[in-house]
Amino acid sequence: MHSVLAGHGLVKKYGSTTALAGVDVEVRERDSLAIMGPSGSGKSTLLHTLAGIVRPDGGQVLLRGERIDNLGENKLSALRRKRFGFVFQSGQLLPELPAEENVALPLMLEGTPRRQAVKRARRWFAPLGLDGLEGRRPGQLSGGQAQRVAIARALAVEPDVVFADEPTGALDQATSTEVIRLLTSVTREQGAALVMVTHDADVAAHCDHILHVRDGLISNYSQYTVA
Amino acid sequence: MRTSVLPLTWHLARSSGRRGLQSQLLAAGAAAVGAFVMLVMIAASLGSGTRADHTAWRTPQADKHGTAVQALATTYVRHEPLTVVSLAQLPDRAATPAPPGLNAFPKKGEVYVSPALAELLHKLPASQLADRLPKVSSYGTIGAAGLASPDELVAVVGRAPTDPAMSKAAAEGASWFDGGQSARAVVSGFTGTKASMFTATDQAMALLGVVLLAMPVVVLSSAAGRLGAARREQRLAALRLAGATPRQIIAMTAVEAAAVGTAGALTGALAYAVLLPALAKIPYGVGSWYTGQLWVGPAWFAGVVLAVTALITVSAVSMLRQVATSPLGVAQQANPRRTRMIRLVLFVGALGYIWVSTAGGGQLKAGQLLALLIIFYGAFWLFGPWVVDRLGRIVGRFARRPATLLAARRLSDDPRGAWRTVSGLVLAGFAAGFFSVSLLGSDVSQYRDQVAVTTVGTAEARQAATEARTLLNRAGVTATVTVGSEEDFDSLLGGSPGVIAHVTGGTERIDTAVTALTPVGSGTLPYSQDYAGASDRTTTDRIAQASTATLILSFVLATASAGLTAAANVLDRRRVYGLLRLAGTPLRVLDRARLRETVLPLVALAGGTTAMGVYGSYQLNKAAGAGINTSGAVELVACLVLGALAMFAAIGASRPLLRRVTADPAQSAD
Repeated sequence: MHSVLAGHGLVKKYGSTTALAGVDVEVRERDSLAIMGPSGSGKSTLLHTLAGIVRPDGGQVLLRGERIDNLGENKLSALRRKRFGFVFQSGQLLPELPAEENVALPLMLEGTPRRQAVKRARRWFAPLGLDGLEGRRPGQLSGGQAQRVAIARALAVEPDVVFADEPTGALDQATSTEVIRLLTSVTREQGAALVMVTHDADVAAHCDHILHVRDGLISNYSQYTVA
Repeated sequence: MRTSVLPLTWHLARSSGRRGLQSQLLAAGAAAVGAFVMLVMIAASLGSGTRADHTAWRTPQADKHGTAVQALATTYVRHEPLTVVSLAQLPDRAATPAPPGLNAFPKKGEVYVSPALAELLHKLPASQLADRLPKVSSYGTIGAAGLASPDELVAVVGRAPTDPAMSKAAAEGASWFDGGQSARAVVSGFTGTKASMFTATDQAMALLGVVLLAMPVVVLSSAAGRLGAARREQRLAALRLAGATPRQIIAMTAVEAAAVGTAGALTGALAYAVLLPALAKIPYGVGSWYTGQLWVGPAWFAGVVLAVTALITVSAVSMLRQVATSPLGVAQQANPRRTRMIRLVLFVGALGYIWVSTAGGGQLKAGQLLALLIIFYGAFWLFGPWVVDRLGRIVGRFARRPATLLAARRLSDDPRGAWRTVSGLVLAGFAAGFFSVSLLGSDVSQYRDQVAVTTVGTAEARQAATEARTLLNRAGVTATVTVGSEEDFDSLLGGSPGVIAHVTGGTERIDTAVTALTPVGSGTLPYSQDYAGASDRTTTDRIAQASTATLILSFVLATASAGLTAAANVLDRRRVYGLLRLAGTPLRVLDRARLRETVLPLVALAGGTTAMGVYGSYQLNKAAGAGINTSGAVELVACLVLGALAMFAAIGASRPLLRRVTADPAQSAD
């Protein structure tokens, strides 16, 4: 499989604090990578650097072999919109939009006509177990349902990579397992790679690879064979 | 714990950081605007009353044991009214006291003029103005006590009791157009209570403005109180965990809101006090103001500060109570605040009731009128959110762009909030739309270029015509002089005997003709179109002025409300906006959505009612054979355009805040 996303020698400093001290990482098509580490270890900084949210002070980020860390803010923003999908812990859905319009929004932002965007968005509801919830607003959904809508929204643009930052952090154990299974399987089915930050080893165990970060450096790298 | 509330509130307020400070500054700013606008409107209302009182002495109060004759007359120069009060001490009677603004009762041949008239007398040729008054070597000055405004044109003339200007015939007025511009009586002093026609309606119109603006001020103050709901919600959660009781948290919120509200309202009130000299220069009715007329007094001053502070405090506490009762409901807005059809039914019912109540045509009492006004206002408050909700749904159904869709969904999500921002403009817009283009009242345009002088009878009129021709010729005025027929009620003479001079030329020629013909009327002043239309025009002008002023102040309040709400929304929704930006959503989409949230109801509701007002007025004008008040229309359009731009600028002002609170959401070492 080809490398989709790679970071080489990534360095990021916040004042005197070194968040990343020369990290190398590579994610291949359909791969899922969990980034773990204690608080302040630099795991979120690594995810944000790979996603083009944070610009590294050193090193390079490559998307399908092309450097993206040196792009301008507008291009980076467009890149995140078109080629990446994001799932956060919570609060990412617009409360006034029904679920289907939340999912359709990134498509509409890309210029897809609304009718077509909503039609495409609806396709995600059944596979994610959201049938019948298209018209509900985020406030009318459970935590697990809201996260599945967020996954649908991340995948609606058919991204190269889905970035997830503690996607199950606000969920109970059972829901968490259900959501993470869906996230990893649907992402793989779509041919996208998944990069996820989590502090939960059970969640991380659903990924192909686990990367442990400590003091801005990779302290351990494990690979699972997912059945 | 009771004693620890104040220091803890102070400590938390100080340590709430830059965003906390921003919220507090915005809330204080809103309180300042609310207090300022309210004080200005109350000042206009009270000041109008004071001004009217200052004119009451000019209308004579008959006393059969009187000591002097007083005659009131009105003439026009450059289309402005000049009030002439003629006074004559009766022989063998007690001395009459001095009229307000004068040190002594004027002797025969003495002329006192207001400062504005003195300036005009100096500026204009005598043939256009000064020759209407008795010739004197120097004029005395009427003091502020006798004037409603520094701009008023007033003359007090001392005459002999036998002077034609003091005769009963002269006092009957020029014609049926008079409408209170002339009066005569034997008086013993200046205790009249009837205000001048030019100031009598000012207070009522200003009061209407106060009523129309009261609710927008309440809305603005409430918005200020709701500001920072998300921050307070976080504080509530943190303090509850730390062991604080809900009562303590509410007390802390109330103390903080009251402190911010007091600081803001006091700032607004002080700004009003400091700006009094500048405010006094704004003309209303008879002109600009004496600064003292606009001072509301300590009771109103303190009352407004307290009222605004109380509104903000109550709003903040009620918001916190909602959070305390149902934090998820407030934070996530689980259910959209839908409006029901019953609002439309009640609105139609209320309008129907008002129509039935006023259809009889009978005179309504002040209490009944006030009740109907409240019903009318209440009906709109019921109807407005329903319209916003429907507007949101309709636009949401057909929206093609993400920004429009977001705006439409926001409108349906909280139609009351969107309504509150534009509510003040809806009613003010209707009133301003109607009256600014209105040409209601008697149409006197056919009398343009005419000057009339009434005489005692038709025979006198023929003599007067000959004299008039000579005088006009001598003054260099080209005119055709005709003798009016007593049957001709459509002429400027309105069926009175007299002469009419058809003058060629503009305003200056008319003023010259009026001046030249002054000796003809044996005490009755010549008059022109301005005199004939004064009564109706004064009323409609005042309503138009008050409506436009109300619309402008409504825009000020709406601008503050819109800016405040936009900033509050950014602060309260910074997490979702931050995550959307992080996911690549262009901020311009969010900016457009935030703008459209206000533009849609503004155009549909305020624009709609303003257009309705203009259309209604146009139809009435048309039915009366009149056109449209062009200058009023231009003024209205300018006000609407500038007001809308100010609102958009206020919303746009929170753009940097949006960028700041969503910038680098991932700045941490983790």
